[in-house]
Order: sequence, then structure tokens, then C-alpha cells
Amino acid sequence: MSSEIIQVQRSKIENIGALPTVPATLKRISAIIEKPRVTLDEISHFVSNDPALTTKVLKMVNSAAYGFPGRISSVSHAIMLLGLNVVKGLLLGISVFEIMEKVMSGLWNHSLACAVASRMIAEKKGVKDPEEISIAGLLHDLGKVILILEFQTQYEKAMQETLQKGITIYEAERIFFSNAHSDIGMWLAEKWRFPKNLVEVIAYHHNPVLSKAAPLETAIVHFSDVLIRARGVGFAGDPFAPSLHPAVFDMLNLSEHDIKDVLARVEESVDATEDLAL
Amino acid sequence: MPRVIVANLQEGMTLLRPVTDKNGMILLSEGTVLTEKWIERIQDMAIEAVYIDGPTQRTIPKEEELARLDARFKYVEEVPHMKLLKKLIKEHIEGLYVQ
Repeated sequence: MSSEIIQVQRSKIENIGALPTVPATLKRISAIIEKPRVTLDEISHFVSNDPALTTKVLKMVNSAAYGFPGRISSVSHAIMLLGLNVVKGLLLGISVFEIMEKVMSGLWNHSLACAVASRMIAEKKGVKDPEEISIAGLLHDLGKVILILEFQTQYEKAMQETLQKGITIYEAERIFFSNAHSDIGMWLAEKWRFPKNLVEVIAYHHNPVLSKAAPLETAIVHFSDVLIRARGVGFAGDPFAPSLHPAVFDMLNLSEHDIKDVLARVEESVDATEDLAL
Repeated sequence: MPRVIVANLQEGMTLLRPVTDKNGMILLSEGTVLTEKWIERIQDMAIEAVYIDGPTQRTIPKEEELARLDARFKYVEEVPHMKLLKKLIKEHIEGLYVQ
């Protein structure tokens, strides 16, 4: 095989507004979110001015991925209940995965199911802000969107490689690109001024033991990712169940009953979120 | 039990939960058997899905689901904890087919 490794440049990715392949909605949302001191009012105003976006945000917050089914009727109410970081994450999730469904069918379902599983495990583990973990679950693969948009041909080759060699897409990415989707997601999460714990979850969801600031959150999203792919919900680049990191298994210490509970909830939410195909 | 998207509603389905408007006012009560007319009205409202009584219809046969499960685990059967995970998922899938 004579493939050249593609150098993915951080400076280029961070300058997302200048990437020709990135759609305008994502650029506009990125521009708002990266402001150093963006206020609730600004975000609320931005969303409210876009009826399509408003509808999608409200659909999401009233869905099974969050704990308020059918109870949130306005964007400002959503921001009050969920907090700025969660709403920022939601906006990105919505704009990123809208594109993604076009280029990798199934990634939105994978991400949504991860969000549900992550939130549920977070609740079982008594984590303080289960909504933030849910957002981490929703956004953990956002780097894949950018890789596909920017390097479509090579990414398709990487997906082919998974089938030929029986490897995961993460392993294949590292054959074809200088950086995997987890790096790219981390660069963007930092640029968008997400809290440290969210940045770490995205950066280390394939290497959970590397996380220093958010080991539990990272472990939760790693476990959810493995579980959702093993269950076969959605599609994330290859058709295989990845290996679970043994340290994560020990750290979370979930009982068989817990795991089946999570599977049951995910099943329900998959039924219920068919109409969330944005 | 299943939430059915309004576009997929069929005559004869029974509502498991009431259909309400935005303010919580009940438009159709639970137990209503849907007729063509009701379905049209529901589809005219800004409602995404309603809850229908009865088991979820599974579109993929169980054997096929289990074969797909085997295929997903092909390379990780021997990895620690993956056997357990597979066993739990298998039990979960089998549970979905018990009526």
C-alpha cells in the first residue's frame, strides 16, 4: 500500500470559518460560540432569530437524551435549565450532525445513543451534571465530521481499510492521517472554549486513562461508545465492536443489571428519537 | 411501549397515552382507537409522535440480529470483559423478541 500520511494542520482546522467545505450554519454558530465572554442573552437571541434552529434545539432538549421530556418550550428556558455549556454543545451537535448525516449516515444516531447512555451511566454514578456528560457523549466524534468534510477521498479509503483489515476506524485514521478525530475534536473544543472536562472527554475517549481533569467523565463516554457500537446502534465508521479498556470497566464497576438497564433505555430512546433525524 | 411517528400511524391502532396540545389540554384520550379521520387530524397538528398500545414491531428477524451481533464481535471475542458485554447484549436482544 502506498498511501501518504495526510498532515492535518491544527491552525487550518481552528480557522474553521475559512474552510471552504464547512457549511455556513456551522460557521455562524462557531463564530458566536468562540467569543470569549458570550452571554446567555446573545446565544438566546442568536437561536431565536433562526426558527429552524429554534425548533431543533427544542426538539433535542425535550427528547430522551435530557431529563425534561416535553417540558421546555422556549430557548431561554432551555438555557436556564441546562446551562450555557450544554446549550453551546447542543447548538454545535445540531449543526455538525446535520452535515454528518449527509456524509456518514448513522453517525447522528450513534452520537445520540451515546448521549443517552452517557447520561444514564452518569446518573448511576452520581455525577453532578449528567447533562454535561450527555453533551460530551453527543460531541465525542465531532472530529470525524471535519475529517470527512476536508479529506473525503482519504476518509473513504480509511473506511475501506477497516473492512479489509478488521480494524476500527480510529485505528484506520491513524494509518491515513497525522491526527485522529479525537485530536481534531479536541482542537475545536478548545477553540470553542468548552470546559476542560469536556475537552478531555473528546480528546481521550479512545485512551481514557490519559485523562487527568475528567477521568470519570471520560470513562463514561468511552464505555457508552463501546456499548452503543457493540449493540449496533447507528454507524460510526466501521461495523465492529471496539475493545473496552479494562481500567474503565473496573472504574465504573457497573453491575450486569446496570448495563442491561442502560441497554433498555437506549432501545426506548432509539424508538423515540427516530423523529429527531434533524 | 412504542412511540410511533405520526407519519407511520395506521387505522386501528390504540392510543396508550392521551394526545394533548401545547398547553396540556387533552385532544384525544387514551384508549382511543385511531380511525383515518383521527390520523389525519393528528397529522395536521404540530405533533411528532404518539404512544401506541402493543409490542414494538421488530423489522429484523432475531436470527439476523444475533448474526449481526456475532459479526460485530468477530475480532474482540477474547478481549477481557467483551465476552460479558456480548452476553448481556445477546440477552437484551433476545428479550426484545419475547412477546
